[in-house]
Amino acid sequence: MKPFVRIENLVKYFPIRAGVFKRIVAWVKAVDNVSFDIYEGETLGLVGESGCGKTTVGMTLLRLYEPTSGRIIVEDDDTTYYFLPGIKARSYLKKTYVNKFTKMVRDSGSIDDAISSLDGVDKKYAEIFFKRANGSPQAFISILLRGREEKRKQFRKNLQIVFQDPYSSLNPRMRVKSIVGEGLITHKLAQGNKEVVEKVSKTLEDVGISSDYLYRFPHEFSGGQRQRISIARSLAVSPKLIIADEAVAALDVSIRSQVINLMRDLQAEHKLTYLFISHDLSVIKHISDRVVVMYLGKVVESAPKSILFDNPLHPYTKALMSAIPIPNPNIEKKRIILKGDVPSPINPPSGCRFHTRCPVATDICSAKEPDLVEVGPQHYVSCHLVKEGK
Amino acid sequence: MKKEPILSVRNLKTYFYTEDGIVKAVDGVDFDVYQGETLGIVGESGCGKSVTSLSILRLLDEKGKIVDGSIIMEGKDLLKLSEEKMRSIRGNDIAMIFQEPMVALNPVFTVGDQITEAIVLHQKTDEVTAKKMAVDLLRKVGIPEPEKRVDEYPHELSGGMRQRAMIAMALSCKPKILIADEPTTSLDVTIQAQIMELMKELQREYGMAIILITHDMGVIAENSDRVVVMYAGKAVEYAEVKTLFNDPKHPYTWGLLHAIPRLDIEQQRLYNIPGVVPNPLKFPKGCKFNPRCEFAEEICRREEPELKQIEENHSVRCHFWEKVEEAKRAEVGERV
Repeated sequence: MKPFVRIENLVKYFPIRAGVFKRIVAWVKAVDNVSFDIYEGETLGLVGESGCGKTTVGMTLLRLYEPTSGRIIVEDDDTTYYFLPGIKARSYLKKTYVNKFTKMVRDSGSIDDAISSLDGVDKKYAEIFFKRANGSPQAFISILLRGREEKRKQFRKNLQIVFQDPYSSLNPRMRVKSIVGEGLITHKLAQGNKEVVEKVSKTLEDVGISSDYLYRFPHEFSGGQRQRISIARSLAVSPKLIIADEAVAALDVSIRSQVINLMRDLQAEHKLTYLFISHDLSVIKHISDRVVVMYLGKVVESAPKSILFDNPLHPYTKALMSAIPIPNPNIEKKRIILKGDVPSPINPPSGCRFHTRCPVATDICSAKEPDLVEVGPQHYVSCHLVKEGK
Repeated sequence: MKKEPILSVRNLKTYFYTEDGIVKAVDGVDFDVYQGETLGIVGESGCGKSVTSLSILRLLDEKGKIVDGSIIMEGKDLLKLSEEKMRSIRGNDIAMIFQEPMVALNPVFTVGDQITEAIVLHQKTDEVTAKKMAVDLLRKVGIPEPEKRVDEYPHELSGGMRQRAMIAMALSCKPKILIADEPTTSLDVTIQAQIMELMKELQREYGMAIILITHDMGVIAENSDRVVVMYAGKAVEYAEVKTLFNDPKHPYTWGLLHAIPRLDIEQQRLYNIPGVVPNPLKFPKGCKFNPRCEFAEEICRREEPELKQIEENHSVRCHFWEKVEEAKRAEVGERV
């Protein structure tokens, strides 16, 4: 399987400003060096508590925030520079690719060797650099920058989002038809009012809303129906990836199961890829194929669902799982109660960020930050103790 | 040997008289609360679980009226007491903690001020002793450095700490009954686990009864002894926790239990309860659940079922509970 989205070393810091001149006094390290892949057609669950950076990852992937550093590759294209202003985009491309390629040629001496040692997007761009641009940085950059407007549009069409709160994410002054149809018009997927109405009705029926409601306003719907409209809005432009950011968290139990079932049906029908962001491990377990667990801006563990739930290795994952109340009074379980609160991402703990609350932390945990290492097939854990096999 | 309940609610009805009509927020709720036990009230939003708790404390706004029923605590009917008597019960015999600790705490007073207020009022002590007691309480609920925290304002505490402060405040007069209205809903799961553990410990120590109101079936399963399931203002099922989860009789309870994604079992597809919770101004005729119920027959649309006791400590409000059980068993087979 090939990754649809590849996130590499993503960093997002938010500045905290203070004083008369709004000087930057500190940084909120919301996402700090996060890497993972999303494969085509799968549902990747991203789970963590509030403040772990899971929403920021989703927003940065969509470029609703610009990343501080890191690369976001979608379908073998580096999309990181798509939304940067011209000068920054140029310097990004120069830093990331031109410098690397020229250095490689200087070291190995042969262009073919350099190209064959790379893979994925690097290889693709190296070929452009050496073959089409003949090794000229200027030509390379202008090839990549060409048609950036069109690339942005494609990006926006292919990646869509469903937000948590169905009350604030729909414009109260727009009718359902305009809410769902707006994307169709922007992306020229429908010509003329008749076709827009047709396509919007079809999408609404797909998510279980009668097309009689085309000209109603959001306030005339219940929470569950609004969430369906949100899903219809993202679905209308035939996206490839939908990011569901706590999409079912605000819904009641009986409505939640309806929306979860709907999302799974739509995925099968439209061959969608989901990034499902949630704090609720039970929902994540139900809907995901693979799971990434985050804590305080870092990935602590990632694995295919069955492996993660049968054999969680990171102490945080274990604690999180044991903290979920199970709706079955026959089960007596041992609960790991974590001490204290999640520390502030402004001043995260040294070493492993979890060591302040970790029940098994040792000296090394506060001194050195653990790497995310592969401990089994597709099973990655970032913990000193797991690495040593304890 | 039968235990005497510390609080009995019978046929409670609380209506709100709004401009749009009468909202029957609570329309027939019965349950008993025993000393040292936890009663869970579970239901979806708008089912009347919070209004039930506010009715017990008679904390309704002027539009809300308790129109029928009785709430007996130690032989006294709380609904017949004078407002003055009621004030001596609130916070003293029955205390309450709310869902949103940031909203429930007063932002312009320190945590200590807010705890000592109740102590001074109900226990007739002076400020200095009260403050000492507040520090002890904060220590008891697991707040680090209570001597310092007692002089801090709510915004200086984290969500979990605020909820702990709320619990300290509620415990200040050693209440006989603690009403916890969605106490952990706005908290993260690891913090939720801390708070629920704390509440259990304190319950063991003080021997108080807890009324736990939540929408989370998992929290109910792990923390309560008896459960009331509410739907559209009515108690639809009342049972001991194991009976309810192992042998639900009402189609709504059954549906709820199968609509939640679970960690303990494999599920192919979640059960769908069709439709939505009805608008409280336009409740359907007959059984309130009939438009969403797959077992509904003519009688369900015509006649409201009574809350029937079907075995000891198990009542259900459904015409066809026997049929429901058979059919469900056949359909589901061996699921768990």
